[in-house]
Amino acid sequence: MQPFPGGGGRTGKREGATHVSPSEDQADVERVLAGETSAFEGLVRRWQSPLINLAYRFCRDRGRAEEMAQEAFLRAYRALDKWRRDAAFSTWLFALAMNVYRTELRRIPAHVPLEDIAEPKDERAEDGGLEQRDRERAVRAAVGALPMKYREVMVLFYFHEMEVAAAAKSLGLPEGTVKARLSRGRDILRDKLPRVFHPQLKPAAAQVKEA
Amino acid sequence: MHNDELDSLLRTSSEDEITPSSGFAASVMEAVRSEAALPSPIKFPWLRALPGMLAVVLAAGVGTYLVATQAAGAAASPAWLNWQDALARAPVAGLGTAMIWSCSALLFSYLSVKLSMRFATRRA
Repeated sequence: MQPFPGGGGRTGKREGATHVSPSEDQADVERVLAGETSAFEGLVRRWQSPLINLAYRFCRDRGRAEEMAQEAFLRAYRALDKWRRDAAFSTWLFALAMNVYRTELRRIPAHVPLEDIAEPKDERAEDGGLEQRDRERAVRAAVGALPMKYREVMVLFYFHEMEVAAAAKSLGLPEGTVKARLSRGRDILRDKLPRVFHPQLKPAAAQVKEA
Repeated sequence: MHNDELDSLLRTSSEDEITPSSGFAASVMEAVRSEAALPSPIKFPWLRALPGMLAVVLAAGVGTYLVATQAAGAAASPAWLNWQDALARAPVAGLGTAMIWSCSALLFSYLSVKLSMRFATRRA
């Protein structure tokens, strides 16, 4: 099975564990299972950045992201003997982390209800269009406010740059379901953020003024 | 808007990475070491509990069989004969059944207590 490159990057633009050798992970796991607890630190150092960033993309809170990642590592330590060698360690670790994050995120409501997201204002854009940075911010906020089942696939696929297959494994879902949720998530975003996706549309206030 | 445009907008919307705090790995390792220092959880002694569990299943089976046989016997007899017969034998039959169940319950309780004490003394 293909390991996630440094946590699942499609483009190679990844954080932290960019050059992780699966054998390093396996060697550390064997040492931990043999009773050498300190060997777990190697795994933590290699995977801390991808796991924290994955959590951060869901909760948008650095402190909480680190707490969630710590809990994921702790669960990984407890369940290390359950890692079957037919899957890459990273695949197993991400699936476990996603389970932890999903459970944790069920307790956290989406920070902003999708209906409440104000379309970003950009005074510099006279034609009603939006600066790229504003558009990106609006998109991130909109993704963050999606229902959890759409948010998780969107975050893994677009923000964490995972392939559909890898995202499906991490979420324990069939690939078809992931594709369907991606499609539905995009539809929701299109409906909720028309100005972001259609810059030619002018803001309501401007239209009234013109009339 | 085409899917491609939307895809590219979503992809470029990913923020810069955050860097883990300097003490993150140390904090995780501290938690892991605390976890490692804990005694491993006591597993349920399935092997030792097996005889007791088998006895319970057997008792339940025998009980069910007895009840079913009595019910079938009662149904097969004519009603007038059945109630007179039952009335005549009631004290004796009832006493016998009660004694069997009481003895079984006492025996089962005794065995449970003995087994529990044996496990407890061995662990201590």
